[in-house]
Amino acid sequence: MSRSRNGRTGGRQAVRTGLSDAQFGVVLALPAALFFAGIVLYPFANSLIMSVFDRSLIYPGTDFTGLRNFRRVLSDPNFPGVARNTAVFVSGTTAVSFSLGFTWALILNQGYRGSAFLRGLTLCAWIIPGAAIAFLWMWIFHGQYGVLNLVLRRIGLTSRNYTWLGTRQFAVLAVILARGWQAMPWYMLLLLGGLKAINFDQIEAARIDGAGNIRVLRSIVVPGMRQIIGVTLLIGIIMSLQHFDIIWVMTQGGPARATTTFSVEVYRHAFQNYDLGRAAAVGVIWSAILAVFVLLNLRARRNGE
Amino acid sequence: MSSKRLIDDGPLRVKAVLIVLFVLIGIFMFFPMYWMVLTALRPSTEIFSRDVGLIPIGSTTLANFRAVIGDPRIARYMLNSVFVSGSTSVATTLICAYAGYSFSKYRYPGRRPLMFVVMTSQMFPFAVLLLTIYVMMRFLGLLDRYMALVLSYVTFTLPVGTWTLKSFFDHMPDSLIESAKIDGASRVSILHRIILPLTIPGMISVAVYGFVWSWNDLLYALTLITSPERRTLAPGLVMTYMGEFQRHWATMMAASVWVSVPVTVGFVLLQRFFVQGLTAGALKG
Repeated sequence: MSRSRNGRTGGRQAVRTGLSDAQFGVVLALPAALFFAGIVLYPFANSLIMSVFDRSLIYPGTDFTGLRNFRRVLSDPNFPGVARNTAVFVSGTTAVSFSLGFTWALILNQGYRGSAFLRGLTLCAWIIPGAAIAFLWMWIFHGQYGVLNLVLRRIGLTSRNYTWLGTRQFAVLAVILARGWQAMPWYMLLLLGGLKAINFDQIEAARIDGAGNIRVLRSIVVPGMRQIIGVTLLIGIIMSLQHFDIIWVMTQGGPARATTTFSVEVYRHAFQNYDLGRAAAVGVIWSAILAVFVLLNLRARRNGE
Repeated sequence: MSSKRLIDDGPLRVKAVLIVLFVLIGIFMFFPMYWMVLTALRPSTEIFSRDVGLIPIGSTTLANFRAVIGDPRIARYMLNSVFVSGSTSVATTLICAYAGYSFSKYRYPGRRPLMFVVMTSQMFPFAVLLLTIYVMMRFLGLLDRYMALVLSYVTFTLPVGTWTLKSFFDHMPDSLIESAKIDGASRVSILHRIILPLTIPGMISVAVYGFVWSWNDLLYALTLITSPERRTLAPGLVMTYMGEFQRHWATMMAASVWVSVPVTVGFVLLQRFFVQGLTAGALKG
């Protein structure tokens, strides 16, 4: 249809863009598609293939080794620990940021004065660089002069200082809190959007029937937000599974590997030990786990359309 | 009388619970920010005192900020980051605008799979992609070049950017395009002269998003840039302050505040345009 119109209006421009509408649409989407192919698709496929080769970042050459890298990874006594650390980190950060983010969204959604300002201030935690956030929490958890030790001493809970980041369990807790703090504003923002979309008439009707707050939340608010809660949780989990910055700066995966997650492990194998094949083998296992959540996420979105 | 609020805060008990939760989460959220700024404003010797207070009594100083701002390394990293983030921001906005417009207004075979694929590009494990991207950039001679970073950041910001702009275009009535066509405008000039100017709020949001993403990234910047003088902010900060035997916490906090300023200012702008963009979306008549 538009081809004939272009033909009729004649002009130079119609000649210059002598494409059908469909072709024009493809051309517009082409740069994005090329970027995706070059920076995501090819690297992903190639990284998966790397896992069956013996390949180093410093020595030339690649030898096909079959499943040897996988055997090395799976027989590594540290590997179950990495999987467990990742699971703890992801569930911990998700629990912290979801529960706090949801509660905070509920409070800010009440429309009290200053809510918009507090929302903006909260979001600052999400946009400042992860490296800065890591510095901040290292300082809070500082073993000698950290404010956490200071406060605990002041209120009389303890009389000695804890070296939080040097103790396995506490270090895990510390990176979870730091990452939870960083991600919480993002949860709040999405859930706030979900709360705004809730039909208020339904709530009023329920109130007239004598429903209290808990029942309103349980039978109207949460079911009404099931879609957005699901998508938020899944994207949040995907992002936490990916997380690198804060852990790397705060603990570099330590102490005694207690905070080494998949992303830290891949980075370490590849860029500190220069063993690409082994890094790729960890990456394949990690990707398989990630894929479960990605597929769930995509299905949830499609259902919502 | 039932409350107009989602949680009926009439009963005293509910009010008390809300206040307690507000205070607790508020402390968790804002105390760290407060502490960062407070530490940055204290003399660096004072923060190591055992009896340091939680409120700013005693001396405050701008010396830490002066030290950070006057540090040529930090200035260098900042400049590098401005360049990388600026380039990413411009490139990603354009590419997302074209792709979003294509997905929204054109129909062609393969459109749905392509949309789907672009949406997932943030879900692949970045560290795994990096294994190949590193080797690939080395092969292409782009290692230690900003191009390597910009290419990566543009790709990772594609999904959110494209979907944001697509929803803007979705709100634009087709009649707008049709009438411009009847006036004899070409598709290219319709896009650049009519559509994109109407989408400026959305494009600014995407630009800021791309900027913030590149400003904050550590993993790629740490790996793909190898010379110290080319480092961007996040790895620059880490290398500068973590390598030192004695950590200067007051200076580190000042640096953290200082590098957060550009993205925070950018975000304040984003928020304004975001709201404006939403109202502009209601343009359809």
